[in-house]
Amino acid sequence: MENFVEIQNVSKVIKGRKIIDSLSFEVKSGEVFGFLGPNGAGKTTTIRMIAGLIGITSGDIQILGSSVKTNFEEAIQHVGAIVENPEMYKFMSGYQNLVHFGRMSKGVTKEKIMETVEFVGLKDRIHDKVKTYSLGMRQRLGLAQCLLHDPKILILDEPTNGLDPSGIREIRDHIRKLAREKGMAVIVSSHLLSEMEMMCDRIGIIQQGKLVDVQLVHDVIQTGEKQFELEAEPANAAVELLKQQYPESSIALSDKNISIVILKEEVPNIISMLVQNDIKIYGLKEVSKTLEDRFLEITAKKGE
Amino acid sequence: MLNLLKNEWMKIFKRAGTYVMIGLLLFFVTVMAAFIKYQESGGTVPDNSDWQRGIEMQNETLTKELEEYGDTFTPEMRHSYESDIAIGEYRLEHNISPNDSYSVWSFVQDASFVIEFVGMFSIIIAAGIVASEFNWGTIKLLLIRPIRREKILLSKYVTVVLFSLMLLALLFSYSAILGGILFGTPGEVSPYLRYQDGQVIETSMFVHLLTYYGLNSINLFMLTTMAFMISAAFRNSSLAIGLSLFLMFMGGTVTSLVAMRYDWAKYILFANTDLMQYLDGSPLIAGMTMGFSVIMLIIYFLLFQFIAFYTFKKRDVAA
Repeated sequence: MENFVEIQNVSKVIKGRKIIDSLSFEVKSGEVFGFLGPNGAGKTTTIRMIAGLIGITSGDIQILGSSVKTNFEEAIQHVGAIVENPEMYKFMSGYQNLVHFGRMSKGVTKEKIMETVEFVGLKDRIHDKVKTYSLGMRQRLGLAQCLLHDPKILILDEPTNGLDPSGIREIRDHIRKLAREKGMAVIVSSHLLSEMEMMCDRIGIIQQGKLVDVQLVHDVIQTGEKQFELEAEPANAAVELLKQQYPESSIALSDKNISIVILKEEVPNIISMLVQNDIKIYGLKEVSKTLEDRFLEITAKKGE
Repeated sequence: MLNLLKNEWMKIFKRAGTYVMIGLLLFFVTVMAAFIKYQESGGTVPDNSDWQRGIEMQNETLTKELEEYGDTFTPEMRHSYESDIAIGEYRLEHNISPNDSYSVWSFVQDASFVIEFVGMFSIIIAAGIVASEFNWGTIKLLLIRPIRREKILLSKYVTVVLFSLMLLALLFSYSAILGGILFGTPGEVSPYLRYQDGQVIETSMFVHLLTYYGLNSINLFMLTTMAFMISAAFRNSSLAIGLSLFLMFMGGTVTSLVAMRYDWAKYILFANTDLMQYLDGSPLIAGMTMGFSVIMLIIYFLLFQFIAFYTFKKRDVAA
C-alpha cells in the first residue's frame, strides 16, 4: 500500500522548548491511524503541523509526495480536516457555509455540495442558520466541510469531542466507511481510548513530544493470557481448589467474584473441575483488557 | 481571487451590523436634509441684486485691517485675509455672485462631514475582518485550504477598501439625490473658487466635490489600513477599533499641538493625511509640500501592509 502521509523526523520548538521531538510515522491509503497520548503530549500540535496551521521547526511532512513546507498549495489540496470543534459562521446557514468553503477549493459544484450534505444526513436542516444547530449537527456539518473537495487524506482532531453516544457512533461509522470505500487515509486523535479501539487500525502513542510506540490495534489488546471473572458458591472453597490447580496464576477474591488470569484453553477444565467438586457456578465471563489498561501500561513503562 | 472576494463580501452582508451601519449613514443625511429644509423655509431668500457693493465694502475693510495690523498676524491669518480679498476681487471681475441660493451642491458639500462616519464604519469592518476569524475559530478552516495565506489576507484587505468605497459612493449619490429633490438643481452652477500660490483658481462644483471627497478619504483610508494591520497582527478587534477611532478623532489635534513646538511633527502620519491643506490653506509646517506628504503616506501605507502580511504569514494558529 502507498504511503499517503509521511512525517519525517519532525520537530517543533516554541520559545526554546521542544514541543515535538523528531517525530516520524506514515499513514497508508485506506488506513485509520489513531493518535493517542495524555494531554499536552503534542497530539494537536502535530495535527496542526500536518494541516499547515503551525510551522515546522525541522524535518518535513510529505502529503502524496508534496511537502507541506515548500509546496503548501499542492500538498494541502488533498487534505480535509476538522481541527478541534468545527467552528462555522453561525450567522450563515449550513449551506452558505459549505458554499463559502467550497469556493476555496477547485471544482466543488452545487451537486457535490448537496451530495455531501446527503452523505452526512443534514438535508432537512441545511438551509437553517448554524446557530440553531445542535452540537451533533455542527459536527456533521464539519465533516461535510472537509469532504467537499474529495480529499485523499482526512485529519480529525478529537472528532467525537462533546458528542452523545449516538453521535459518536455515527462519526465512527462515517470514518470507517470513508477509509474502506474511498481508500482515504485517516488520522484521528482522541482522548477517548475506547473510541480509538473501535475506530482505528493502528495507534501511535505519543508522550512528551516523542512517539513512544506504534502498534496495530489488534496487538495492543491481544496478549496470551486473559482475565476471567467467576461467580461461584462457596467462593472460598473454589479459590482453594483453583490455587491448588494453578499455583502460578494470580487468583483473587472480591465479594463473591473470583478473578483469575489464565489461558482461554483452560476455561473448560476449570469449569468441569469445579462442578466435580460440588461448587455451584453462577457465571463466568471474560474481562477484556482495554486499550486504556494497555495504554497506561505502555506510557508508565516508557515514562520511567 | 474572485471567489475569495465573494466569500468576504458574503460574510459582511450576512450580518445585521452592516445594515445598521448603512441605515445610520442614510439616517444622518436625511436628518440633516430635513433640518436644513426646515430652516430654509423659515428664512427669507437673500437679496441678490446688491452683492457687488457688499464685496467692495468687505474688501476695503479687510485691506485696511491687513495694512494696519498685518505685522502682528500669524501666517495663517495673513493667508486667510489675502485669500478672501483675492476671491472678492475675482468675483467682481468675473461677475460671480456669492449669494447663490442653496442647491443640491451646497447640500452635498454640507453632508460631506458624514464621511467621518464612513471612516468609523470602515474601521469597524477592517478591525473585525481578520480578528473575528480568530475569535470565531473559523481561521483554522480558512487556512487549511489550498490557498496561500497572503492571498487570503489580500482578499480581506481588498474587501475592506471596496466596502468603504461603496459607503462613499452611497453617501455621495444619496445626498445628491436627496439634495436634488429637496433643494432643486440650479440651471447654472456657479464655480468653486480657491486661492492658491497667489492666484484664484476656478473649478466646477462637481469636480470640486469629487476632489473634496477624494482628499478627505485619504485620512479614512490610512486609518482603515492601520485598523486592518492591528487586526491582522494582534488578532484583537477591540484594540484595532479603539486605537484607530481614538487616532481618527484625536490624531489631528495632537499633531498640530506637537507641530507648534517641534519640527519633526511633519513625519507624523496625521500631519500628512490632510492634503486639502495644500489646496485651500497653508500647510501645517512651513516647508511641507504635497510631494512630501504623498511620500510619507506611501511609506506609512507600506509599513502597515508589511506588518500585517509578515505577522499573518508567520503566525502559528494555536488557539
